[in-house]
Order: sequence, then structure tokens, then C-alpha cells
Amino acid sequence: MSIALNPFKAGSVANLFQSGKRTSRRDDVLRLPVWRMRILAVLLLLWFLGLLGRALFLQGLNNEFLRQKGDARTNRVVEISAHRGMITDRNGEPLAISTPVEAVSVSPRDLEIAPKQIGQLAGLLEMDKNDLSKRLDQTQRDFIYLKRQMPPEHAAKVMELGIPGVFLQHEYRRYYPSGEVVAHLLGFTGVDDNGQEGLELSCQDTLAGKPGSRSVIKDRLGHIIEDVASIRVPQEGRDLTLSIDRKIQYLAYRELKAAVTENKAKAGAIVALDAKTGEILALANLPAFNPNNRVKLNRNTTRNRAITDIFEPGSTMKPFTIAAALEAGIVTPQTPIQTAPGHLTIGAATIHDAHGEGVLSVAQVIQKSSNVGAAKIALSLPSETMWNMFNHAGFGSVPKTNFPGEASGKLRPYKTWQPIEQATMAYGHGISVSLLQLARAYMMFASDGEIKPVSLVKLEAPQPGVPVISPANARAVRAMLEMVVLPGGTAPRAQVVGYRVAGKTGTAHKQEGGHYAEDRYVASFVGFAPASNPRLIIAVMIDEPSNGQYYGGAVAAPVFSHVMAGALRLLSVPPDAPTQNIIPPENAPLIREVA
Amino acid sequence: MSYTTSPLAAPHARPDYDRALLWITILLLGFGLVMVYSASIAIAAGDRHTGHQETYFLVRHAAYLAVAMLAGFAVFQIPLRAWQEAAPYLFMFGILLLALVLIPGVGREVNGSRRWLSLVVVNLQPSELMKLFAVMYAADYTVRKAAYMDDFKRGFLPMLLVMLLVGGLLLREPDFGAFAVITAIAMSALFLGGLHWKQLAGLVVLLVVGFLLLIWTSPYRMQRIIGFMDPWADPFGKGYQLSHALIAFGRGEWFGVGLGGSVEKLFYLPEAHTDFLLAVIAEELGFAGVSVVLTLFAWLTLRAFAIGKQSAGLDRYFSALVAYGIGVWLGVQSIINMGVNMGVLPTKGLTLPLLSFGGSGVVANCAAIGVLLRVDWEARQVQKGYTL
Repeated sequence: MSIALNPFKAGSVANLFQSGKRTSRRDDVLRLPVWRMRILAVLLLLWFLGLLGRALFLQGLNNEFLRQKGDARTNRVVEISAHRGMITDRNGEPLAISTPVEAVSVSPRDLEIAPKQIGQLAGLLEMDKNDLSKRLDQTQRDFIYLKRQMPPEHAAKVMELGIPGVFLQHEYRRYYPSGEVVAHLLGFTGVDDNGQEGLELSCQDTLAGKPGSRSVIKDRLGHIIEDVASIRVPQEGRDLTLSIDRKIQYLAYRELKAAVTENKAKAGAIVALDAKTGEILALANLPAFNPNNRVKLNRNTTRNRAITDIFEPGSTMKPFTIAAALEAGIVTPQTPIQTAPGHLTIGAATIHDAHGEGVLSVAQVIQKSSNVGAAKIALSLPSETMWNMFNHAGFGSVPKTNFPGEASGKLRPYKTWQPIEQATMAYGHGISVSLLQLARAYMMFASDGEIKPVSLVKLEAPQPGVPVISPANARAVRAMLEMVVLPGGTAPRAQVVGYRVAGKTGTAHKQEGGHYAEDRYVASFVGFAPASNPRLIIAVMIDEPSNGQYYGGAVAAPVFSHVMAGALRLLSVPPDAPTQNIIPPENAPLIREVA
Repeated sequence: MSYTTSPLAAPHARPDYDRALLWITILLLGFGLVMVYSASIAIAAGDRHTGHQETYFLVRHAAYLAVAMLAGFAVFQIPLRAWQEAAPYLFMFGILLLALVLIPGVGREVNGSRRWLSLVVVNLQPSELMKLFAVMYAADYTVRKAAYMDDFKRGFLPMLLVMLLVGGLLLREPDFGAFAVITAIAMSALFLGGLHWKQLAGLVVLLVVGFLLLIWTSPYRMQRIIGFMDPWADPFGKGYQLSHALIAFGRGEWFGVGLGGSVEKLFYLPEAHTDFLLAVIAEELGFAGVSVVLTLFAWLTLRAFAIGKQSAGLDRYFSALVAYGIGVWLGVQSIINMGVNMGVLPTKGLTLPLLSFGGSGVVANCAAIGVLLRVDWEARQVQKGYTL
């Protein structure tokens, strides 16, 4: 048995090369000469040896070259997407979250699709069948996106078709649970998960994180079959906690929407500030958009008017004029001002009051919103003094919230002011501000003369404020503003049951091509409560109310009242006027104002 | 014959058969089954035609092996005398099958080649059977024409004409590889039988010119030649398959990436479980694995020659020529296949005998081993003094 197994023992292979005894007989017709067989065997053996040498060369000696060629075809660097950080409100409630979705892609080169399946695939992808066939026909391409950001359960149905060459890729889709309510603040991300608008854009670096990468081996169909090494670990995006309180935001949006609808207004905006910290608790706009469905977006709906748009504020500017005069020591709240006969002519222009009131105290100028009174006080001041007040109040410079497209408003240098301009600026014409700037400026009355920076992000520690006016003067103006919502003021509808409220109405003609339009107004109301120890500042702006009412006291003040009432309750602010409120009936006549 | 017990039934006595040959065969078949499975898992799982079953090729190859071993055992029972009598008819039957393949509707076409006959359950590849028939025919022819081996007209010309007919049929499929193997079998038989060296030289010149002519006239073969000359000139086009085979060799290094670990078999390397099985072996088991396969095939070839020499010594010329023919067949086919895998020969479409996936292939190979064992067994019987 060992004879047969060992090729080098007699009687086996080795025997081939010993001459056989009987093969050289001459009388045989067929000789089958052994040397011929040997030549053949040696030839074959040489081939085998050659192949062994070739294998040695390929695998042992030259393999570096081949390995490199192989690595070039199979090794790939793939990106590991970093999870985008969540945006939450101040209490941790999610406002923007990234959910895993799938992108359906195809490798036309590897595609094997039956004609029947094209129709099924088109149906699942919600695409036109001919369109799809055309895209699938690009057979020279390796990779085409068919549909991105598909819900995983829909994508799973696509994979159930089992079409070779069609595959999924994980990606993230931004989802906004609050929909249009916080849409303008948050903005939105694009298909590649990068911020396009709003805070998603301005906080892109914080939220996005840094994608990592790793080296993998892929099979020819693109499946990852082996992890070789991690090149860079992905840095997850950080969460962003906003200063927004979701409940107050909902309330503000709901009330604003109701008012815009009721007054058939073109647009509206509302800002709620924490008077103690400068944090923005709510900020809403109309018209709004649904950030979860970005099919038809336009600038009209996506614009964050409260921060990026400017308007002539009208009478809501009067408290600053009065504050400047009080600071300059020119007037006291009791100083009488003659407003009769209800108009004042400066050069070629005439300023009108809605109705003549005769002699008013400075406080009453605010309460009745007298243009003539405010203009007269303004004209008694040097233009520089007034400009300084406006400038310190933050008008003409951006509020530095870091929001994209923040408006700075228009405040011209005082050296260029004409007397008539100084007079109209006293009641908020010839100057443009954003609603956020206006709300922020009122902080000086709500917090004893200090203005703090506003913030869209929740603050960990209180920020230092900048004193603008003396605490005494701040309280004096606050007292005047409290009179506005009392009977005899322009905004009794701004009252809130159980709380003392202070505020100021504004009703400004809109400017159109250099002229003031007769019948288009911006109605506004800015106020705060509780007046004894202000906690919240709310500014409301309604653009072009066109359902009959257009006064700030009638259109904007009720929104203020409703939101303030709800927000104070949500914040558990103790009432400071339990029983003394006098609520007028809904149809009570209003003290009218213009400007 | 007086010796009636089966030659396989007496393990303790001195064996009546070539144990080494049997073990080499079993090793190659078993190793082939493992490697066919490894090479085909991904292809089978990723293909709609296989119903995405990973074991699609494994199950089929195992069934083929069972049939093939039964065939080998059955063939072992057939005396060489019977083969010799049947040789011309078998050869004619083979030619008939090769002609049938070319008839549209009868022959099945795969990848541009018409090589298969559809037999309801399985596909038959006549060229594989033809290799065995050619061995028989060439041996019988050489024995019959022994007296005219020096005579061109009576000894050489008839064989040349027959080979031109067979070659013509095979090239129409086209099956260039089978043509090369059958030509090698026929020419070896003539050479061993004592063909005059002048005729041999003329034949060699004729073959070389003919091969070159074939290659130049057919774009299909031309393409394969160019791919083989420099696979890196067009590694994603004509040189695609070969470049991936070579990459597989390079990745394997000395001891391979481990069984099952091949990357090239994952859709990069076409025909990984058939023609390019060696490349997968090279990648997964390295130079060590390739060396073992090479050694086994060289040993197998030399065993066939040893068996042939044994019979020649007993004046059993037909048997001897059959054994030599089978040695040439398995040797040349394995050399060509491995040479193709290593980029030293043009791509042929030849499988690795006994290892590669393919029913007709393993059945024909096992039948050949059966014949070889029979030749050896008959020689041993004669040596022991029995008459057949």
C-alpha cells in the first residue's frame, strides 16, 4: 500500500524514469517508446513547476502591487453622519429633532428590473413612471438618488420589491413637532441636513457636529462587508436650549392668529420678553409656514418679521421722548402742556391730534397719546439729547440675538434732523424699528432704567444690564403707562384681571412710496405686567388691519391682554391687583388716537 | 475471469487498485465542494435566478458529485476491451451531440456560447463527454494504425481530418478550451504511438499558424488575448476578469485571508465558482493552498502516466494509451485553467477538473478516473497471473 501512496518508491511514479524491460522489443508493431512518454511527462511537469513559480511570484513576491490594485477597487472611505443636535425650549421640550429616514438610491449598472416592477417602484416612490424609466436608463452611472428622506416604513416597502441594484442609505430628516408655531424662529434644514433659515442656520456649527469617516471594504454592489479602520470619530451635534417657553409660545401664536384673522390683517408679530433677564419667552409671526412640509415656501411666509422687518412704530415711541425730557430735567410728570387747538404747525407741515384736549399734564400726554404734546416736549429738547435716548434704547443698532438677517432699524444722525423731523420722531414717525427692538427698549421702564441684552438662548446666569435712565424716572414713566390702560386711556382692553398693567398703544399710517397712506395702518401695543414688579414685556404688531378697527388699543391691546393673562398664570406670577380692575364692556367707546 | 470479488472489498490485503489515485481524487472532489460553496455563497444569495439561496450551488454540486462517483464506480466495471470495441461508435455519438448543440432550439446558449444540451432536469455539456470519447478513439486509432505511424497519408491524415471536423464543431459553439484539450489528447496519442518527428514538427507549425489565424479572425478570441497580455491596460474593460483574478492571488499572500474571507468573490470576480475557482482558493488559502492543488494535479497526472507505463509493459497498448490520454487530458486542462487564473494563458472557459462547479465536468472527470482505476486493476490482475 505504501508503494502506491509514495510516488518515489519503486513501482510507482519514480518508475517512469527507469527504462522498462519489455518496451524495447523490436518485433512489436506498436512500441510506445518510453522516451516519448518521458518527454510528455517532463513537459507537463515543467508546466506545473512554471505555474508554481508564477504563483510564488504573484503571492509571495509581487503581491504588494496586486494588493494595492485590489485595495483601490474594494477599499472605500465612507462618511459617518453626525447626529444633528436637538433644539428644545427652556424646559427641555423638543422643538426640532432629527429622525432617521432612508434615501432610496439605485446603481443603474447593477440594476435588474422587470418592466412590471418599474410601475410598482414608481408608485411607491410617488414618481412618474416614464420619468423613472428615463433615470434608470443611465446605465453608465454607478449611483443615482431616486428619492430622499423617505419614512423607513415606506422605504421598507420599496426593498420588499427585491430589485437588485436598488438600495437604501440612512440619513436624517429634521422634524418640528410644533409645526408652524415656532417655524420662524427655528427656520429649517435642507435635504442634506444643513441649516437654511433661522436658528437652524445661525446655530449650524453647534447643531451640526462634525461627520466622521471610516475606511471599509465594499463588495462590488456597494455593500460594506468589513470595517477596516476608523479614520475620524464623528462628533455629535450639541443640543440647543432656547429661551422660548413652548406653552407661552403656543398661546402667543394662537392669540396672534386669532387677531390677524379677525381683523383681516396682512401680517402680525408678537414678542414676549422676560423683563428680569432679557430672555425671549415667545416670538411668533403671521403668515406662518409648516416647516415639516417645505414644498411651497416663499419669503412672505418664512420671514421672521418680529426680528427682520422694520416699521414706523407711531405712538409707542412717545414714552422715550418723555423719558428724555424727564432725564434732561425739562419737565416733570405734572408739567402742563398746552395741546389746544389740537394741531401744531411747524414750517410747512402741521401735526394733528385725533381730538383737541386743551391743557394736559405730561402724564396725560402719554395717557391720551397726544401728538401735539409729544412734539412740543420734543422740540424743547436738543436733538442730540433725543438721539442719545433713542440710541441708548437700542434703536438703529441690531439687538445681537445672532438671528440671521436681524434688522437694525433706521435712526438718522441728529445733525441732519430738521425741527419737523424731531417733532414727528417724538411720536414715532420718521424712525423705523423692529418689534424686537421695541420690546427690548421697554425694558428700561419695566426694570428701573436698565436694559439687558435680549437672548434667544436660555441663560445660565443673569446678564448685566446697562442703565439708561434713573430708576425714579423709569418708575414715573411706568406710572404714566399704567394710566394708558385705565379708563380714560387709549387701551383699557389691555387690562388683565388681577394684575396691574402698563403699556402704550401705537397706530401709525403706513408709508407708501414716500407718502403716508390714508387708510393703511400698523396697529401696535407694547406693555408689561405686573406693573408693581414687572415680569413680562409683550409687544404686539398687527399689519394693515382691515376689518373696520385699526387702532392699537382695539386691535393689538386685546392680544396683549390675552397672552399676558395666560403667560402670567403659566409663570405663577402672584397678582398685584386682586380686586381693583375695572373691565369695560367690549363695546365701550375708545379714546381715539392717530400716531 | 475467475476473480469474482469486488476489487474494493479487501482493504487488508494488498490492494488491487491504485489507492493514491483514489485518495487524490477524493481529496480534490471534497476540497472542490468546500471551495465551490465558499466561492458561490455571495453570488447565489445575490441572484434572483437562484432564488437568493446561499446553498444553491453547494446543493447542486453535491448532487453532481454523488452522480459523478456513481458514474465512476459504474465505469470501473467496464472492461477496457469493451471500451476499445465501442470507441469509434462513442466518438461518432460524441460528434452527433456536438452537432446537436449547434442546432438553435436544441442547444442552450449561455453568455454567448452554445455549449449545453437541455435534458429536462439537467443541462449536458457534450464537449466534456467528448474529451473522454476522444481519449478512447485516439487510443484505438493509434493501436489500429500502429503499422502506419510513419505514413502521412494512412497514419496521420485520417486523424487530422477527424480532428478538423471536431475542431470545427467545437469552435462554432465556441469552446476553444475543449478544442485545445481534445487536440492535445489526440496529438499525444499519435506522438506516443510513434508519429514521425517530421510530421510532428509540421503539425506543430500548422497548429501554431492555425491558432494565430483563429485568434486574428475572431474579435471574441482577440479580445480575450488582449486582456491576457496586459490586464492593467484596460482593467475595467477587457482585462477586468483577469485583473481581479490576479488581485485575488495577491491578496492571498502565503497563507490566504482565511476560508470564506475572499473579497474578490463578492461580485468582483466573474465565474468565481467555475473557471476562476483557483483564484478564490489563492485568496482564501494563499500560496499554501495553490501549492497543494498544483501538487495534487501533478501527482494525478504522473499517476496516470505510471498506470499507462505499467500497462505498456504488459503489452496492453490500448489500455496504456487510454491511461496516457487521461493523464494528458486532466494535466493539460488543469494547467490551462490554472495558467488562465494566473494570467499566463489566454482566457479559455475551461474548468478546473474535479474541483470546479459543473455537472458534466465532474461526471466526465470521475468517469475518467474510473477508467484509469480499471486500467490499473486489469494490469494488476494480469501481473498476478489471472487472465481477463
